[in-house]
Amino acid sequence: MARPPSRRRPAAGKHAQSMRKPVSRRPAWVGPVATVVGVGLLVAAFVAYRGWTTAPPPNIGTTDAAQVLATITGLRPAELDQIGLGSATNSIKNVSGPALTGADGKPEVFYLGAEYCPYCAAERWAMIIGLSRFGTFSGLETTTSSSTDVYANTPTFTFRKATYTSQYLDFQAVETLDRNQNPLQSPTAEQTALLRSYGTGSIPFVDFGNRYSLTGATYLPDILAGLTWQQVAVALQSPGTPQAKAILGSANLITAATCELTGQQPAKVCSSSSIRAIETRLGTGR
Amino acid sequence: MSRRDRALAAASAIAGVAGIGVSAYLTVVHYSALPLACPTGGVIGCERILASPYGVIAGSALPTSTAGIVWFAISAALAIGQLAGRDSQLVLRIHLVWSAIGLATVLYLVFIEIVALGAICVWCTAAHVLVLVTFLAVLTRIQTAGTQRLRD
Repeated sequence: MARPPSRRRPAAGKHAQSMRKPVSRRPAWVGPVATVVGVGLLVAAFVAYRGWTTAPPPNIGTTDAAQVLATITGLRPAELDQIGLGSATNSIKNVSGPALTGADGKPEVFYLGAEYCPYCAAERWAMIIGLSRFGTFSGLETTTSSSTDVYANTPTFTFRKATYTSQYLDFQAVETLDRNQNPLQSPTAEQTALLRSYGTGSIPFVDFGNRYSLTGATYLPDILAGLTWQQVAVALQSPGTPQAKAILGSANLITAATCELTGQQPAKVCSSSSIRAIETRLGTGR
Repeated sequence: MSRRDRALAAASAIAGVAGIGVSAYLTVVHYSALPLACPTGGVIGCERILASPYGVIAGSALPTSTAGIVWFAISAALAIGQLAGRDSQLVLRIHLVWSAIGLATVLYLVFIEIVALGAICVWCTAAHVLVLVTFLAVLTRIQTAGTQRLRD
């Protein structure tokens, strides 16, 4: 009489044990947490894939680079005038401080950026075009922004070995990191002080003689995505292209700020009606 | 329905209603001249996403956000139905399948944003997070229900 229950009990106990095991092994939070982790990993994989697949444009030789530079620094003044501010963001700010001058007493434009930085990559096009109206660059080399940052592989030129000669102003540039974020050049204590006094800590930072400062790019680098240096140069010759509106508009903004430093010299550049008009808007954000 | 289940169902319902709001806003902006309220800079680029070919449902002129309205409306209806008493396993399972479809679509859209367009739309991301919240709430309920059944 007592045997059947004693035979059944172990069986029932075994059944109950096998039913409880999953309860203790997989709490209710495991699925949701695994989902969140899975989604996070997928998004990270997308970001990494984007970085690897946005290939840099094929590099060009020094002859082609020189041709591109000749094209963009030799654009017709009429085209620059026609564009005015274009689609550039007027983010140049008024600053006040002791006049920043170079070794020979000429007003100085100081740039601080980095080769990996896509916004610096964008702004260099405009700086080269704008400042070439006051002097001559040499030693500019082609490069692209980081392949793992936003706006990956933006084509540009680097100031790392550049020199600039002008009878009107001095230009100093510091590229702090290369495109792989390895240390490259260090600013002097005075240059670091300029960044602290007139910048926000972001790059690119441009100080126009301690009268104006610019932090960040005046246009978004996406308009350069997938283009070669030659394609950018061709686009800049047509005032209707997004590249011309943004880059030449930014170059005019830089030109206007520089004209304020040089006492409106050279006249053939600074007397342009569009440059004059932009000068009245400097520091207004409009 | 336990208090926890009610809270999870309510979270799904709230996410659904909020998602309808976000999707409706994007749809209104698409069809009107209203400027889109969206920060710019860095990888943020709502216009770049919404003005791309992926901003409309393939083969139509309907903005992608209209599909969002439909998805969130059905999700909210399923959640409200459960709160109103239709707390059957079948409804819960249908909601899980529906939110899984939503999550798969979100992953595809995030892939398009990051890989194809290289930008992120904050409004789209808000809608994506609401879909994820819905999926997590429904999944937690399903798992809790399964655990409860085993305990019973």
